[in-house]
Amino acid sequence: MAALAAPTLARRRLKTALHGRLWPFLVPSGLVIGCVLLYPLGYALYLSLFRYELGTNTQEFIFLGNYSALLQEARFWESLARTTGIVLSAVGLEFSLGLAIAYGLYRLTYGVRVFNMLLFLPHIVTPVVAALFLRWIFMGRWGLLSAGLLGLGFFPPDFLGNPFWARITVVLADAWQFTPFMILVLYAGLNTVDQSQIEAAQIDGAGIWTLLFHIMLPAIRPLIVFVLAIRIMDAFRFFDQIYVLTSGGPGTATETITMYTYALAFRLLEIGKASALGVLTLIVSASLIALMIAAIYWRERERI
Amino acid sequence: MNKRGMNRRQVIGGAVGLATLAGGAKRARAAGPVQMVSHRYPALEYYAEKMKTAVPGTTVNTQLMPFDKAHELVTIAMSSKSDNIDLFYANDSTFLTYVKNGWLRPLDDLWAKYKQEFQLDDMVDTMMKTYTYNGRLYLVPHTMNSMLLFYRKDVFDQAGKKPPTTIAEYQALAKSFNTPLRAGTIDCLKPVDAGLNEAHWYMNALADGWFDKDWKPIFNSPRGVQAIEALKETTRYAQQGFTTAANDECTIALQQDIAVMGLQWATRAKSMDDPAKSRVVGKIEWAPPPQGKARIASDGYGISAFSKQDPDTLFRILATSSNQTNMRGAASLLVPPRRSLLTDPELKAQNRFYPAALAAIDTGLAFPALPEFYSVGEFITRRVLQAVTGEMPVKAAMDAAATETENFLKGRGYYK
Repeated sequence: MAALAAPTLARRRLKTALHGRLWPFLVPSGLVIGCVLLYPLGYALYLSLFRYELGTNTQEFIFLGNYSALLQEARFWESLARTTGIVLSAVGLEFSLGLAIAYGLYRLTYGVRVFNMLLFLPHIVTPVVAALFLRWIFMGRWGLLSAGLLGLGFFPPDFLGNPFWARITVVLADAWQFTPFMILVLYAGLNTVDQSQIEAAQIDGAGIWTLLFHIMLPAIRPLIVFVLAIRIMDAFRFFDQIYVLTSGGPGTATETITMYTYALAFRLLEIGKASALGVLTLIVSASLIALMIAAIYWRERERI
Repeated sequence: MNKRGMNRRQVIGGAVGLATLAGGAKRARAAGPVQMVSHRYPALEYYAEKMKTAVPGTTVNTQLMPFDKAHELVTIAMSSKSDNIDLFYANDSTFLTYVKNGWLRPLDDLWAKYKQEFQLDDMVDTMMKTYTYNGRLYLVPHTMNSMLLFYRKDVFDQAGKKPPTTIAEYQALAKSFNTPLRAGTIDCLKPVDAGLNEAHWYMNALADGWFDKDWKPIFNSPRGVQAIEALKETTRYAQQGFTTAANDECTIALQQDIAVMGLQWATRAKSMDDPAKSRVVGKIEWAPPPQGKARIASDGYGISAFSKQDPDTLFRILATSSNQTNMRGAASLLVPPRRSLLTDPELKAQNRFYPAALAAIDTGLAFPALPEFYSVGEFITRRVLQAVTGEMPVKAAMDAAATETENFLKGRGYYK
């Protein structure tokens, strides 16, 4: 028994000694994360407990007052519902398109690199610049799309001025910019699937869709979870494009939770309440991702 | 040990070096370029250029951007008491917010010192009153501005129509001129500034204004609701994208023959005759807004209360950019706030829009003198847009805006 325990103990000691020597390597990145992530997050949490309004010298501790005020506001719930709708539509569209194109690229025998590079171009553009391009495309009457449709004899809808079309436009704008990210990650994932599994399925007579849905997608499930989680987190912060394209309008048609945070902070100058809304956004998006992960792995857990 | 001691010395030396550098950087900042932030339109672009060469040997960096963004940038910088902005733009409404928060340096001493050198007595008295708060002056005036009715003279002549004198006539004309390819009118309802401008006209011409004397909202009164109903009716004949259109987009709509008429700032008048930008050169005429009471405004520049730059240099930059010669050069882009220029017959003859602009100033109305007006404007414009786009009935939208405004102002110490 003692003979068996000795190597384990030695291994543990070696591991501890190694960790003791290696931890200083984590210090630089720890400091950076601390400065740019943990400190602002902590400060936002701190501010969210105060009634703090810019320009009034008001800074009164109200504990969870900002949170309870927000949770009782119709505007909060409406913007949350709208954000969820836009996020699910945009990420759903990006995933479906991304998967279709990634699978197309996977099956392509030549020209993949060129296509990949071209398809990735929208993702390189800074979101604000991309939104400015898109604004000139979707602008009523003299925008590129409207003018093009008029040239073809169709009278275009008011893409940015009509509530229905404004929602469609912001979803399309997000999809235009972030589908390339989906394509890149999913294409890389599809290429990692074990070739022998694919060949075995093909021998059994699996068609291209069976191959995709029953062999390849289950094989890259962790990657799908990763890419969806990243995009949902990102889309919840959806701001630049909406700010430039519609400013949250018309009316409140595209007012997302980040647009509301922005209005609270920079128009109404209610910094404490805006911080509380930022914290609530973090909680909501984290919960949504946790739910998504749980749902994706549900069947697997049941099988175990 | 020796090695460790050397390291400690190095660390101390480094810290001292950094402190020296930091001190040096602070000194360098104080003597460095002057930073100016401003709203952007042709007249202000002109003044920004003049500021760059106003004081020989002083570099002025200018950042020009749309109104809402400039206001937000100044708010963020000043509320953190940053000295990164030395000079900034303000209008008759935002200046109240800035002064109330202590972000502007009073200019009375500098004004008195340089009065003769820059002929400051020539400035219009109403402008001086506008920029005075609790007996102290805070801005150097650069422009006077009024909203005008821009209309297509050729289209009106062809239809045998005259410029409208009431909002009802205006709506009837907008309806009659409206076609799928050319809107009957422009509307600019982008929150906050543009939307407030448009609603301000309806609210004052058809109702009793925004607030009573105790700053209680009255825009949800029956007459206020009727005014917004009228605005909603007008938008039926407006250009596409009016809900997200601000001054730039509305100016383009007129220049590109996409709309027949509408209210726009006098400072945009000259650009209608610029062949590089406009397809309607010589076709646009101007008239005072029907029923008057459209917005009048004025623009000026102030010195940040937190600036580390020499106040005399900063004042000289502002006073030089708005001296008589420079203002004469900008006279085609604005209504000059100097008496000598306003009464100059040569300038009146050169600028076709002057008579309408002067008439509009006489009948116009500034925003309420409420420092929080832009903040509560966030509620108002959002609800007005909800009403106009049919998301909410007009009455419910205006009631909601009034409740939000009242709650906000109560939180800021009003109604005690």
